[in-house]
Amino acid sequence: MQTPADTPLTTYLIAEQARFYRLAYSYLRQREDALDAVQSAVCRALERQDSLRNPELIRPWFYRILINTCLDVLRRRSRVVPLEDWAETGREDPPPPDEDLSRQVEALPPPVSTVIKLRFYEDLSLREISEATGSNVNTVKSRLYAGLKKLRISMEGEDIR
Amino acid sequence: MKKLEEARRAYENTPIPEELSSRVEEGIRQGRGARQRRQRLRRRWLSAAACLTLLIAGLNMSPTVAQAAAEVPVIGGLFRVLTFVSYDKTEDDINYSVTVPEVDAESALAETVNKVIQEKVDQHLAKAQQDWEEYREAFFATGGTEEQWAGRQMDVIVDYEIKFQSDTEVSFVVTMAEGWVSSMEERTCYNLNLTENREITLKDLLGENWAEISTAAIQRQIDEEPQKYFTPEMGGFTAVDENTAFYIREDGVPVALFAEYEIAPGSTGFPEFPLA
Repeated sequence: MQTPADTPLTTYLIAEQARFYRLAYSYLRQREDALDAVQSAVCRALERQDSLRNPELIRPWFYRILINTCLDVLRRRSRVVPLEDWAETGREDPPPPDEDLSRQVEALPPPVSTVIKLRFYEDLSLREISEATGSNVNTVKSRLYAGLKKLRISMEGEDIR
Repeated sequence: MKKLEEARRAYENTPIPEELSSRVEEGIRQGRGARQRRQRLRRRWLSAAACLTLLIAGLNMSPTVAQAAAEVPVIGGLFRVLTFVSYDKTEDDINYSVTVPEVDAESALAETVNKVIQEKVDQHLAKAQQDWEEYREAFFATGGTEEQWAGRQMDVIVDYEIKFQSDTEVSFVVTMAEGWVSSMEERTCYNLNLTENREITLKDLLGENWAEISTAAIQRQIDEEPQKYFTPEMGGFTAVDENTAFYIREDGVPVALFAEYEIAPGSTGFPEFPLA
C-alpha cells in the first residue's frame, strides 16, 4: 500500500486520530463501531474536502462529519434488533473509570452532551461548536447552560467564551 | 469546574485500539479513491457535453464534417461501443451520474448484451432509490429533524471503461456504485467477439490449460504480499474457474478482477491480477 502523500488535511487527520476515536467512542460505547465511524468519517472528509472552504475551520468541519457519522450509527442501531449474544460481545473495552460526572454527561440528550463534550473535552469555542453542530451560537449557548444546569455545575462566574 | 476536569480526565483515559492508525489510513485511501472517481466523472461529463455540442453544430454545417463524424467512433468498422445515455442530475437529494454504454453492431450478441446492461442499470437505480427512501424514513422515524437532515445526499454512479478493442473484439467494464453512509460498488466485465457472436473466454486467450495458468499467476502475486489478502480458510482465493471475472488489457493480456471483500479485506480494494 502506498503511503499517502501529506496534505494539510491528511496530516491533521493522522495527528488527531486519538481524539476522533475518543469522541466516537463516547457516542457509540463499542470499540468496533467507534473504529468504523472514524474510518468512514475520514473517508468522507477526503471525498468531500472541497467543501472545506476555510482551512482554519478544519476542526469544526471534521467534527461535524464525525458526529453525523456517529449519530447515523446510533439511529441505525435503534432499529436493529439486538443479537442474542449482545451482552457477551457488546463491550470489549473496560468502561471508563466510574466517574459520576462523565456518566452523567453521556446520559444527557445527544445535542446537549455534544456541546458539553466539544466545549470541555475538546476545547472548541462556541463559534466552532456552532460550525460543528450546524446550529447557531445562541442555540449552542442555551444547550451549554441547560447541560451545566442538569449537571449541577455552576460556572462560578467564569465567562464562557 | 473541578468535577468537569475529572470528567475530562476520565474521557481522555479511553483506551485507544492499536489498529486505529491503520483504519485511519484505510479511510484516507478510500476517500481519495472516491474523490478521484467523482472528479473523473465530472470531467468526462463536461467534455462529453462539449463534444456533443460541437458535433451537433458541425453536422448541421457541412457534409464533410458529417462524413468525418460518422467515422470517428468506429472501432473496426464492424461495431462500436457508444454512450447510450449520459446524464448528471440531482433529484430528491440523490446525485445521479449515469453513463450507460451500448454496443452498436449488427449482431444478436450485441442486442443481448445491451439488454442485460440496461436491465442491470435499471435494477441498480431502483435499488439505490429504495435504499435511500428506507434510510430517510428511518432517519425521521427515529427522531431526526429536517435541520439535521439538511445537506445529506447520496451519490449514484453508473460508468463504463473500454479496456481493449480490435476489429472484432471488445472488452469493457461497467461500474455501478452507490455512496452515502457506506458505499457499495459493483463492476461487471464484458468480453465480446462480435463476428463470432460469442463471449471471449480465458480458454481463448490462454489455451487449454487456462485454469492452471491463471490460478498459478494469481497465487504468485498473492504470495508476494500475503498480508493484503484473506487466507483460503478465511474465504480467500483458491482457484480460477469459468465464473472468474476478467477484462482484456490494452496489450491483450487478460486481467482477473475480484469484487471488494471477495478475497481480501476492504482496504485492498478491488484486487486485479494480470494473467501473464
